[in-house]
Parts: sequence; structure tokens; C-alpha cells
Amino acid sequence: MTDTPRTPSQGTPPQWTPVALSRDLAPATAIPVIAEGTELALWRGRSGRLAAWHDRCPHRGMRLSQGFVRDDMLSCLYHGWRYDLEGQCRKIPAHPELEPNKAICVPAWSVTEATGIIWVSETGSGAPPDTGALAPLRSLTVERSEDALRDHLGDGVVIEFDGLHLLLQGLPQGRCVLHALTGPGLDAAGQRAASHRLEALRTRFEDSEDIA
Amino acid sequence: MKDCWFPVGAADDIPSAPGRETLLMGEPIRLFRKAGQIQACDAEGRDLPVTVAYDHVWTSLGTPSQPIFAIPEAEEPGRRFVPCGHVRVACSPLRAVENFLDIAHFPFVHTDILGAEPHTEVYRYEVKIREEEDEVWATKVRFYQPQAAKAAEGGQEIEYMYRVPLPTASVLYKTCPSKPEAWDVIAIFVQPLTETTCVAWPWMALYDDTSSQADLVGFQQMIFLQDRAILENQVPALLPLDPGKEIPTRADMTSIAYRRWLKSHDYTYGAQLEAQ
Amino acid sequence: MKLYDWVLSPDCYKARLLAALTGQSLTTVATDVFPGKDHLTPAFRDMNPRATLPVLVAGDLVLTEVPAILIYLGGDWGGDNATERARQAEWLTFSQRLAGTLGLARRIDMMDAPGDLAQAQRDGTRLLRQLEARLFDRQTLGHAFLTGPAPTLADIACFPDVMLAPDGGVSLAPYAAIRAWSRAIRSLPGFIEMPGIPRLHELSPEPGA
Ligand code: FES
Ligand SMILES: [Fe+2]
Repeated sequence: MTDTPRTPSQGTPPQWTPVALSRDLAPATAIPVIAEGTELALWRGRSGRLAAWHDRCPHRGMRLSQGFVRDDMLSCLYHGWRYDLEGQCRKIPAHPELEPNKAICVPAWSVTEATGIIWVSETGSGAPPDTGALAPLRSLTVERSEDALRDHLGDGVVIEFDGLHLLLQGLPQGRCVLHALTGPGLDAAGQRAASHRLEALRTRFEDSEDIA
Repeated sequence: MKDCWFPVGAADDIPSAPGRETLLMGEPIRLFRKAGQIQACDAEGRDLPVTVAYDHVWTSLGTPSQPIFAIPEAEEPGRRFVPCGHVRVACSPLRAVENFLDIAHFPFVHTDILGAEPHTEVYRYEVKIREEEDEVWATKVRFYQPQAAKAAEGGQEIEYMYRVPLPTASVLYKTCPSKPEAWDVIAIFVQPLTETTCVAWPWMALYDDTSSQADLVGFQQMIFLQDRAILENQVPALLPLDPGKEIPTRADMTSIAYRRWLKSHDYTYGAQLEAQ
Repeated sequence: MKLYDWVLSPDCYKARLLAALTGQSLTTVATDVFPGKDHLTPAFRDMNPRATLPVLVAGDLVLTEVPAILIYLGGDWGGDNATERARQAEWLTFSQRLAGTLGLARRIDMMDAPGDLAQAQRDGTRLLRQLEARLFDRQTLGHAFLTGPAPTLADIACFPDVMLAPDGGVSLAPYAAIRAWSRAIRSLPGFIEMPGIPRLHELSPEPGA
């Protein structure tokens, strides 16, 4: 239990938040993620390029993370407005002949991918931390806040615990994503064993009286 | 908005006293049947006005100045009335109505049923506020549909008219596949539970001698559930009434008029205003 | 074959989806469960005393339990040896638990069915976590589906209630492996949708492109 609230920006700005493992975002897909309390649509074009935007279509507010990707364009699921990787609206299907107004643009965050991890940042200054040769395993959500987990696990970007290397992504409402990495070169059986350890860790955190 | 009529139940499904509890604009109310009459009261036991129309029970927390709106077409002989049950949705009641007024989403949300790519174009149509009735009307709306209704085979261009007689009720008229000189009537009656949750009661009055009731209800439920998946993902949940928050195009003229009409009447339960 | 069907029922959708994926045609009989309560009529109860949907009628055979319907429609999707059949049976049972938790949450949240919503959501979340862990294990073997390299009854039985979890207020955002599995199923040739489980529009071409 902690009584002193920790501000997430404490320590080292600029902030990059790990939001997904590269392996979990295939080409031509979009997913919802949350960074610093902001809901974002994270998506990858068919070419592999990434974008992270406010998860809200400027037209009628539909979550863009529910949209679909054709080539390097994301289309909103509601009326099909189509946006390029820069967030610029390029097509409004209700008016096929119309060149969309340049002002129709979705606010974007910076996004970068390194050693199998996707990071986002509102300002985009600096570079995300280097996780070296560690191999991304899987991400899982714990029903405990980042602060509560850090009180238990300690600070630092990559936290070593129980043979796993953990990146923390705090979510609203007292939840936190653990992005688990392992040492390099694990075979399939080793990966499964590590995944089962991660599951056990979550159970321990959620059952623990000390982590509220 | 308190003085408007709101749908709160299916007329054939009101139990006898003590009846059933539900919410209207955040207030608990009770509906019950007594001496063959449907009645409603608020949490303090105060009687609320009740009217039964179009297979549904309507009430109000205030004092409605008018009887419930008329749907003259529904009185025509030979129509089948199809109440389609109810579905709760986590969205503003006003967003639910606005979605009902929208056709541009058909190819993406009701794919291969009410619309299909590449037929995505929304042609120019007419919108006005009819001052005398104080209703929003959109007419001469045309859209290509691959399967316009249960009884329709193959694609055709369909014509629609939309009207909004109450802040949370809308009626649409569309080309009737089996009787081209008549209009099918499809309505959505929305019960505001809170500003961000509502219950939708779809209702139809059709000329259709061939489809089973189950087919007709199933068709409408399928369409509405497809909309529900959208409605629960609009951000913010409240309907923004100030221009600038969202970007409409010519295809959204009905929605623009609806928002203006809401604002001019101060119908803002479920709406987001500048200050927020 | 005749399927007594309700468009909003994930259980009915399982039968229609499996038939579509295996290229079988079903004659569906729309049943107005809500608000019509057609399933409570004497005629329907006579056919299925439990008064549930779906019901599959094939000649003299009347099937009312979803796993039985899937086994009947599944043909060689159901496994050709005891180990595989037993594995699938585990998931068929698991899918019934999904229906009793996530499916229940959806019926409560959407249609006022009686029950404890928070409890159904919690129990359903526990099952989603189990499924996610299992699908990750499968990924390490290079497999997208639950029991084999190709989809089986296990996948079809679990897919609908999982995909409709958001209808009952349970988010699927935390489950990367489930997301990949859902894309694999929705990409199958012959896939059909149900309200709440849309097709992948990215599989159709951009008009004019
Ligand atoms: S809300 Fe996105 S296209 Fe209309
Ligand atoms: Fe719709």
C-alpha cells in the first residue's frame, strides 16, 4: 500500500510509453491502446509503417481503432472516411468526387518501433529506451495500478523479476499492462514456460494483500 | 425537454400493479396496469401522464403540451404493425436518433443489406424544419441498396423520407418493395435512461403479406444490433451540439438540422454543450 | 436440414457459421424469441422441451444442444482420432461456459435478462484469460487455431461469445492472441457475419483503386 501518490512524469522526461509488441500488430491492422490516459488508435499499414492517433474520427466521433486498413490508409468503420499515414483525410465515400478539405486531419502522436516493441510519445522528443537483445514474449493486463506494481517491483524502465523482464504501461482505473521480454534465443517450449510464469505472476499480484 | 413524450414500454407487456420499474431521464418511474388501464408514476407515487400509441407506452416527467405525434400512414388499412422489442445501448439517446437519420453508413455498417461499396454516394436531398408541425424533415433522399428489406430481391435505388417529431423519436418512410405507390414506415422510439444510456424500441408499419413476423422482427433486430456496435464506440458518448466539435458534410444535412433543432428548443438531455 | 434460428443468438450463429464454412446449405426458420416468445409456444416445446434455440432438424434427427449440432454439421472438422476428438470436446464444454458468462453478460446488458452482470463479466474475463494463454501457446507452435493447424469445432464453438463480449461490457482490447485468432477465423473462405461480428472490410478491394 502506498500513501504518497507518484506522478508518472517523475524521473526522466521525455516520456515514451510501450503500448504493444511488434508481433501483436500485423500489417494492415488497427488496435486501441492507452498512453498517459489518452486513448489512441495504433495501426500499421500494409507496408509495415505505423501511426498512432487520437482514437476518434473527426466526422462523428467513431473510434478509429475499430476501422480497417487497405494499403497504407485507415478507413473509419462508420462512414468509411479514409486517412493516410499522416492523419490527413483523403476520401469521403459519401462524396466520391470531392477532394476532402485539408483541415480534416486526426491529431497524431509520435510512434516508433525498436527491438520488437512499439512505443508512443505525445511530444516525440528523444528516443525510447533501448531494451537491447531481450526478446519480446507477450503482453498481459493486470488489475493493479502501475504505482502499486512499482512499489512492489521497483522503479526502472525494464524490471527484472522472476526471470522475466517487464515493461510497465499504466492504464486508467487501476490497471497496468505488463510487456514481458525474455533473454534471447528461447525455443517454443521455453517461451510457453515463460508465459506460464507470467500468468502465475499476475495471479500472485492480483491475489496479494500488499499490492492494492 | 422534460415536457416531451418518451417511450417507456411495449403496450402488451405492462404487468398489473405493482408493475415494472424503469428509468426516464435518470428518474425511477413505475409502469403498471390497473383496471385495464396503463398507468405510470414517479418515485414519490405522483401520477405521470400516459398515452398509448404505435404499440408503445409513452409518458413524461413534465406536462406535454400536445398529444403524441400522428403517423397518418400507419392508419391506412392493410398495414402490419411490427414492434421489434427493445435493446439497451450505452450511448446518448440523441446519438441513437442521429444514427437513425444517417444513410452514409449503410455500405460499411449494414454491408450487402442496406448498402454496399462502391455505391457509397449520397446524392443531394432536401432538409427543412417544418415550422407548423415543428418537425425536422428530410425528403428526396435516395440511396442504392443491395437488399432493401426482407421482401426485396436484388439491388435497387431506394427513396426515403425522414422526420423527427420528438427529440428522441424518428420515423422514416421508404420505398415499399411490394407496393411501389406506398411507403413503408419504420420508426425508432428511444427511451432516455440517462444522458449516456438509452433503450431503443424499433417499430414498423409495413405492407407485406409474405414475410413471417419472425422474419420481419429478425431483419430489424439485425440492422439495429449492427448500429449498436457503432453507437457504443462514439466518443464522446454525448452528442456535441456546438458546430466545430465534429465535421459534417453535405451528406449530413439531416443531422445538422436535427442538432440545430435540438439546440433551438433547448433539448439538451444527452447533449454536450460548449462549456463542457 | 432445417435450423430454427434467431438472428441475435450466438448459439444459432455457430451452426450457421459452421455450415457456411463447410459449404452446407441450411434452411433457416426465423424464430421470434424476443419480443415474440415463439420458443415458448406448445409447438416449439413439443420439438424442444428445453425451449432453447437453435434446433437442427435433419429427417428424424432433432438436435437441441449446440455441441451436438456442431458435431453433426462438422463432418471431418470434428477430428479423425480419439485424441483430437477429446481435445475438441474440452473446448466444446469450455464454449458452454463462455455462453453462461460472457453470453449471459450480453443478454443482461442488452436485453434485461435476469442475472448478476458484474459477476458474469468477472467470470467471463477469467475464461478470456485462459483462452488468451492457450492461444499464445499455440502461436509458439506456429498455429493460429485452437487444436490443430486448421480450424475445428473448437474454434467455431468459442468464437461467437468471445467476439460479442463487448456487447456485454467486456472489452477485448487486452487480448492480442485472441485478436489474431479472430482475424484468422474471419479471413476463412465462406465466413459469414452476425450483428456485432462484422466482416473484415480490408479483404474487399478499395473501390476505384
Ligand atoms: S465517424 Fe468516421 S467516417 Fe463518420
Ligand atoms: Fe444503421
